[in-house]
Amino acid sequence: MKLRFHWAFLLVAALVPVVGLFVPAARSLGELLRPIFIMAILALGLNILTGFTGILNLGVAAFMALGAYAYAILTCDIYPFQFGFWPAVMLTVLVGLLAGLMLGLPTIRLRGDYLAIVTLGFGEIVQDSLKNMDVITKGTQGINPLPGPTFAGYMFRSETYAPWYYLFLGFLALVVLLNRNLQRSRVGRAWIAIREDELAASCMGVNPMKMKLLAFSLGAAQCSLAGALWASFLGSSGEPGNYDFQVSIIALCIVIVGGMGNIAGVLLGALVVVGCNSLVLETFTNFLKAHELISSTNVYTAPGNWKYMLFGLALILMMRFKPEGLLPSRQVKAELHPHEPPPS
Amino acid sequence: MSLLQVDKLTMRFGGLVAVDAVTLEIPPGEIVSLIGPNGAGKTTVFNAITGIYEPSAGGVRFAGHETRSEFCGSVAVLLLLTGFLTAGALILLCNIESLWEVVITGNYQYRQVFQWKPANIAFTTYFSENSGTRLILPAVLGLFLGLAGAWAVWQRSRRAPEVAAHAGIARTFQNIRLFNQMTVLDNVLLGMDTRLQTRFWHAALRLPLFWRERREATSKAIEILRFVDLDREVNQLAENLSYGHQRRLEIARALAMQPKLILLDEPAAGLNPAESQALMELIRQIRERGITVLLIEHDMQVVMGISDRIAVLDYGEKIAEGTPAEVRANPAVIEAYLGKSDAST
Repeated sequence: MKLRFHWAFLLVAALVPVVGLFVPAARSLGELLRPIFIMAILALGLNILTGFTGILNLGVAAFMALGAYAYAILTCDIYPFQFGFWPAVMLTVLVGLLAGLMLGLPTIRLRGDYLAIVTLGFGEIVQDSLKNMDVITKGTQGINPLPGPTFAGYMFRSETYAPWYYLFLGFLALVVLLNRNLQRSRVGRAWIAIREDELAASCMGVNPMKMKLLAFSLGAAQCSLAGALWASFLGSSGEPGNYDFQVSIIALCIVIVGGMGNIAGVLLGALVVVGCNSLVLETFTNFLKAHELISSTNVYTAPGNWKYMLFGLALILMMRFKPEGLLPSRQVKAELHPHEPPPS
Repeated sequence: MSLLQVDKLTMRFGGLVAVDAVTLEIPPGEIVSLIGPNGAGKTTVFNAITGIYEPSAGGVRFAGHETRSEFCGSVAVLLLLTGFLTAGALILLCNIESLWEVVITGNYQYRQVFQWKPANIAFTTYFSENSGTRLILPAVLGLFLGLAGAWAVWQRSRRAPEVAAHAGIARTFQNIRLFNQMTVLDNVLLGMDTRLQTRFWHAALRLPLFWRERREATSKAIEILRFVDLDREVNQLAENLSYGHQRRLEIARALAMQPKLILLDEPAAGLNPAESQALMELIRQIRERGITVLLIEHDMQVVMGISDRIAVLDYGEKIAEGTPAEVRANPAVIEAYLGKSDAST
């Protein structure tokens, strides 16, 4: 059996901390991988919507924010709930499911661009609400400090490295498994059929509203899981501004660059987009500064500050030359290059 | 009793009357053709039967029932649930901050035990004071909004294609509408969707039912593909099939629904004579499986060759109906197709 890219990715990722015991460089790589795992979970949530079902969602950061705040309220000791990590994460996923359902129910009949605008608005509304409900959310301070997760009596501390790494990797593997199971089943088939031809799908007895709603709430649940994990890692819910439009766009970037509708592609996309942002550009900037090729006070010449422009450029180039993404699903590839013979 | 009754069906689009009081009766087990010049309203009749259009007047009854979802207990529960959910959300939205201050912040000191009892009392007193604006108004408004919204959505989705599909009506399309980027097998499996019992959680957790049903469904799908002679193309993408094969795959996908009635919209369009012959044979075999066939077709050889009865539409009106021989001899039909002849009369 051919080893699929996503399983290979998870396997190799599982070995990184082990290598890190001997090679110090692997440790800093591993530290970098943790946010990548979280972004990958977020992007996989978006992939259910945009990749499988063909619904453009420009507000996934809102679900991430809801997840982060729900987790923070449930665990922080300034509030009386003080759940442990595991029940809090489960409840957060439930909150995400409900939030997706509540947003989806009235809006799911909108088509294409109109729904995208609604999700964009939802993203802004959630951010503003979190900012203004400061009795509950502490406004722009965010809710903190949050206790670290515990696992079988072991307490995660912020300075430890490997436990967090495996925690996130474990969740990512779980999400990948869930998405793959759904993709290769009646559910995924119906989602893809709706993306291809909604009318034909409904004439075959698929209820498009129901399936879209399912995609909406599952995607939202995964995004809020990403939010909860991120909050537990930071030890704070973060401020509402952390979950702005840019986060949604980066998630979309990951899905598009990696390959819409393909789980392995999304993982690769997260690696490339987030990795490029935090590794390549940072290193390059530091290198230039160290050799005094650019001034360390002039913000305009540092490549790290050009990241959104570079993302935009990358998106344009991708759309022009490789619209199906780096690692496309067979289906999407056929969709975008209709006249080429398929690989046999 | 007839399987499908189209009763004085009228479709108006703005000022245009596309279908005007057409009545059709399709008895079970027959092959009935719907013919007529281009723009006569044949496909519109199909769309009304399959629930894509809501009839402007008249109705469609299938196996004795309207092809729309009936109001039943589970719908009522769903409507009420949406209503209560909206009401709850609205109450929360109106009060959340002050409620939080009174109940949570007021009864919890940092790292002290939370005072459940006073919190409970604070909660009740909060809503009993000013209950009009705090509780009753948002509750009533939310209940009304939720119920009205859900009712409107339900009303609009009563006559939907999926409802007709669940009732047992399958169809193919005039301009082939396959899921091009899915494999041939997946196309057929999607057609089987209404017959599957697997639910979302079975698939997510790979419960035994999922495996069993996948095995059964796949072998059934391959059996259907063998029936339409496509079993060598199982793993091809649908769009890579030749035109004639795509037509067959559409029929296979419709058959996978195990329908009582199949609507074929110009199945012979674009086929060569040999393929048309094979198609006629296939349609006969479909009938032998106990499936009633209603087809739209322009190829008169096919129509005359296999139809038990033929209905003729022209400008949205039914101008003739009968056996092939009767229809062929009907002057109104000849006029609709060839125009009026002044010399012969």
